[in-house]
Amino acid sequence: MHSKDQICHEDYQRAADWLLSQTQHRPKVAIICGSGLGMLADGLKCQDSFKYSDIPGFPQSTVKGHAGRLVFGELKGKTCVCMQGRFHMYEGHSLSKVTFPVRVFKLLGVDTLIVTNAAGSLADSYNCGDIMIIRDHINFPGLAGLNPLNGPNDEKFGPRFPPMSGVYDRGLRKMALDICKGMGVSQYVQEGVYCMVGGPNFESIAEARLLHRLGVDAVGMSTAPEVLVASHCGIRVFGLSLITNKVVKSYEDNETVNHEAVLEVSKMRSETLQALVTELISRMDINNNTA
Amino acid sequence: MHTKENACCCSFDDCKLTTEWLLSRTRHRPKIAVVCGSGLGLLADNVPNKQSFRYEDIPNFPVSTVPGHEGCLVFGQIKGKSCVFMQGRFHLYEGYSLCKVTFPVRIFKLMGVETIIVTNASGGLCQDFKVGDIMVIKDHINLPGFAGQHPLCGPNDERFGIRFPCMSDAYSKDLRKLVMDITAELGYSNFVHEGVYCMVSGPNFETIAEARMLHILGSDSVGMSTVPEVTVAKHCGLRVMGLSLITNKVSLDYSREEKVNHEEVLQISKMRAEMLQNVLITFIARSHQVEAINDNSCMYSNAV
Repeated sequence: MHSKDQICHEDYQRAADWLLSQTQHRPKVAIICGSGLGMLADGLKCQDSFKYSDIPGFPQSTVKGHAGRLVFGELKGKTCVCMQGRFHMYEGHSLSKVTFPVRVFKLLGVDTLIVTNAAGSLADSYNCGDIMIIRDHINFPGLAGLNPLNGPNDEKFGPRFPPMSGVYDRGLRKMALDICKGMGVSQYVQEGVYCMVGGPNFESIAEARLLHRLGVDAVGMSTAPEVLVASHCGIRVFGLSLITNKVVKSYEDNETVNHEAVLEVSKMRSETLQALVTELISRMDINNNTA
Repeated sequence: MHTKENACCCSFDDCKLTTEWLLSRTRHRPKIAVVCGSGLGLLADNVPNKQSFRYEDIPNFPVSTVPGHEGCLVFGQIKGKSCVFMQGRFHLYEGYSLCKVTFPVRIFKLMGVETIIVTNASGGLCQDFKVGDIMVIKDHINLPGFAGQHPLCGPNDERFGIRFPCMSDAYSKDLRKLVMDITAELGYSNFVHEGVYCMVSGPNFETIAEARMLHILGSDSVGMSTVPEVTVAKHCGLRVMGLSLITNKVSLDYSREEKVNHEEVLQISKMRAEMLQNVLITFIARSHQVEAINDNSCMYSNAV
């Protein structure tokens, strides 16, 4: 189950100071790579790369052979930091550990967070390989008491009761839709609502129907905690889901879900998603100057 | 929140130790496990060739939090079929971690069990259900699991099963069909239904607003058990059959003051509990008619 870690400001600062001493890069954009989407980090130039296990205070992977890395570098002239490998609640990490990197990003000077994930679609209009621009989310664990902002609030990061309406930046979402038109991929990109559940099982049919009824377009086991903490400390957020499976909603459907299929479909459209993220980062300055 | 015990003894090796302890003390080699819900332990009481072990005596086993309600693992035969019964189960609301709640299921798997039958007492949300009716569990909604309280949370041990198990076919379609056939033959069709069971953590009963929400969300009955055990059973490749005895009708209406005749409720529930035993006995006798597809068996044979 989930234990409560007490992480104080000094812990985040220690990690940030260590990173700042190891790399000359001063990132403005952070990217969290979802399952099968780690190649986003491969596109960074002038790379400095650090194993999570070397960074003070960083969570450690529970999956053998899947050690993660923080990768710093340049993308289209913008300085970025990529999380290659994220942390999940279902692995047993506390939410303060899951979200630890986000506060470190804040202290590094990051002002925009891009989150990507693999998700199962509940909306009938979505197909495997489609990309969903996250318009909003439903945070089941957060509603039920497992919330990364539980505990004493550190005002240095943000307010006690942060608003969550409008957390997924409207300007970036519109920019992304424009980029998709330009890339000619609009037919499989749409906006939708992402729902986080605890996992790790794939949903029963009754659960899938419940979620669909509640207005959920795609479901996964990540993202909401990181976005919550990013919003809390004033980082602008943009989110993308790669639809890797259609969730079974009918008892007559004989299809079953397996994780191997998830990785396979991810390859199909991950290059498109990478190009989209790259172009978005390239254009961000225009938005920054306008703001 | 649930604190994690410092020394959680639910690892694969802990399970092996407990399994070996049991196998060395009983000659029974059960193929069917039955988890008995509240008030539904009758079946285990009359088992021929019975051998019982108190939970407190079994290494690593959870210990009851309710004085006077210590549980037993009961081994025995029903219609020639070797079975093991959990008389007394564990609940989230008692303060157990979910790996403790589901620990017995892991043991059953390692002992060679292929089929698990879970029974429970639940509240009827579907307005067609009456007190005493039996609901064959077709599917479930795991609200605690949605919210991160999940028995498979933590590092995954592949010897038990895969990281992301599918739950859309957790309750065996063939076994459900068999039980529906049996109830028809026994003349029980008018009070046996199929439906969706929703687990909530409890221990409080639902408000009317909560009950209406659960009903709107697709729940036919609501209770505080079963789902963690079924999730782990599916994870390690056991076939699952679930039965709910509807022991109360959940109120969905603010204006109606239902006058519940408690004496009548207890009488009906007792009568139907006996009928449920009839269904189970016949089901156990005929469950071999449904092919056991257990692709994990080789792994476990090697592992033990």
